[in-house]
Amino acid sequence: MGKDECKTMLDALNKVTACYRHLVIALGSTSDSQNLREELKKTRKKAQELAVANRTKLTSLLKDKNISKDDRAEYERLWVLFTSSVELLEVDMKRSLEIGQDFPLKVPTRHLIQTGMTGSTTTVAARAMSVQNMKYEADANIDTVDLKELETEIAQVDQMMEEMEMKVQVAPWAVEAKQEAGAELKSTVSVGNSSVGVISICEEEPKETVEGETGLMKVFAGVIFTAVLLIAGILGYLVINL
Amino acid sequence: MKGFDPLQTLTSLNQSTLGGMERMIISMQDPDMGIKLRNQRLLITVIPHAMTGLDIVEWLIKKCSISDEEALHVGQLFVKYGYIYPLKEPRNLILKADDSSYRFQTPYYWMSTRWPASELDYAIYLAKKNIRKQGELIEYEKECYNALHKRINHTWDFVVMQAREQLRASKQRRKGDRIVLECQEQAYWLVNRPPVSPEHYKLTTLTKNTIAMLTPWYSLKYIGNSYHNHFYVKYCEQYQPHDPIMQGCLPSNPWITDDIMFWNMNSETVALPTKLRVERWSFSFMELLNDQMGRKEFLTYLEKEFSAENLCFWQACEDVRHGETAKIPEKVDEVYKQFLAPGASRWVNIDSKTMEKTLEGLKRPHRFVLDDAQMHIYFLMKKDSYPRYLKSELYKNLLARAIVPQETKKSVFPFMRRQRHSSPSPALATQTAEDDGKAKYSNSNSGTASRL
Repeated sequence: MGKDECKTMLDALNKVTACYRHLVIALGSTSDSQNLREELKKTRKKAQELAVANRTKLTSLLKDKNISKDDRAEYERLWVLFTSSVELLEVDMKRSLEIGQDFPLKVPTRHLIQTGMTGSTTTVAARAMSVQNMKYEADANIDTVDLKELETEIAQVDQMMEEMEMKVQVAPWAVEAKQEAGAELKSTVSVGNSSVGVISICEEEPKETVEGETGLMKVFAGVIFTAVLLIAGILGYLVINL
Repeated sequence: MKGFDPLQTLTSLNQSTLGGMERMIISMQDPDMGIKLRNQRLLITVIPHAMTGLDIVEWLIKKCSISDEEALHVGQLFVKYGYIYPLKEPRNLILKADDSSYRFQTPYYWMSTRWPASELDYAIYLAKKNIRKQGELIEYEKECYNALHKRINHTWDFVVMQAREQLRASKQRRKGDRIVLECQEQAYWLVNRPPVSPEHYKLTTLTKNTIAMLTPWYSLKYIGNSYHNHFYVKYCEQYQPHDPIMQGCLPSNPWITDDIMFWNMNSETVALPTKLRVERWSFSFMELLNDQMGRKEFLTYLEKEFSAENLCFWQACEDVRHGETAKIPEKVDEVYKQFLAPGASRWVNIDSKTMEKTLEGLKRPHRFVLDDAQMHIYFLMKKDSYPRYLKSELYKNLLARAIVPQETKKSVFPFMRRQRHSSPSPALATQTAEDDGKAKYSNSNSGTASRL
């Protein structure tokens, strides 16, 4: 059905937007590298493809006059989700242009900010592109070449957003969210089906003390507790029977 | 060995948009001339690129050739604006020139005014924190969360979706990087959405509610604790229960229910005033004087104290100020005879300097000739009689006897309730007049026609 397809595509766009933001945060820091720039480029292009696909699908659904009121409300909600996603993407693209210009890679001495992040972002990019491993095939001067492309792409996205605002008459304030406050604390199943997703188990915030080991302790305590319960049950059964 | 000159590197770029602070941060990164960095040891993980406050201050002293104090101050600015964040006490944005650790903030989170922190981003951050902490947010964060949930409710599904996805993306990084990411984001939001104490939050929300009618909400920035804000907030807090829009109107709002009991109960000649009215008299002296009933009560009290002439004098001066110009000379004369002349029946106690000035001015009376004397008496009453009146039995009795009107019960049957209706439009009135005119004209016409 149109709705499920929409939701899947929206989930995919949401995932790629989140990964793109993650990559842009690493720009200019010690995690920055040629690879990162290439990852940014690929993720960005994928995000734009998904955005265009989503837009076409949603506009065709919204233009249809013969849909029920409930359906229309649902499509409007999906539309608001879509526009928020594209807005976030646009802001991140603009920021990545700025930071990319301020921190070029092809200089005699790079002056990247030493933020404490030293790992690579390959896995994040692989998640965005829905592949197992990323392949890097760009030239050495990707950081300057890509910026020009980025500028044109930003202009394109801006234009798309303007068109969207003009052509589609959806009042965002009239949409009611399905999730109440604190909904994120419940199960981590998202709106539709997300591809290549790892249903995460949420960790506690790391303090400057024991991490990871607290999880083990919890499991251990649980095992002991169940064993005690079992023994108590067996003893009780014996007492009743004797 | 080529010396490191960040300015040279940057001016070679066509579009360098970095500010002075940012350029300085970049020069701190230099491998030879920059700040010495150490490793931060958490229990299992080791994260590089930490520096002590002392290192920062010493580097600033050496680089800019400034004094200790100046260097501390400059370093303080870096922390305040979020370019460097503390590791041990993240909520305390201060630079200490000892061995407390700090780290650089990633350029994405730099305080550039081009990218102000948006409500949507803050909502996503709070949602992520909510998930990570299993619902255990700090008090002010909980309040911000709820407020945002109301304000941007239409994209709340997106907030939840994006929060989950961002957490999943960060799980792809290794442990050390994940910790750094969380610390960075937290530092960014501590700079951009500083925590507020509960009382202050209540006061600022109150101010925000009253100002919200005048400005669109998205332009409201965090309201600082300025001198004027303090008084405005106090004023709002004091008057909020008395405002019919904020608090509602007992017994009922006459504009809505067509029931004028509210006006009747608050008129000047009512026997017993309402409690709110009497309370308002205690807010300021002007409130008391502006209310006719208040003035009368105050006069009664002053008569007991044998200082009623003060109030009468003040009233007479008001009369001169606001009255007809032609009558001013005779009014002023009256005032002089009654209040100011030596041996007058109701002589008021004014200090000699003001008395001299007033008597001089009386030779050429104008509207404002009695202003100085009036002001003197006003402040006398305000400082002396007014506080005593508020503590007096008379006032307290009145406050106890004052009525709190009952809210009119809405009738059970909806069709029995009076519906709101607008008064007939003046256009209709003129139209009926025209119709009448036409009818008369046609009548007279037909009349003449019938006669023919």
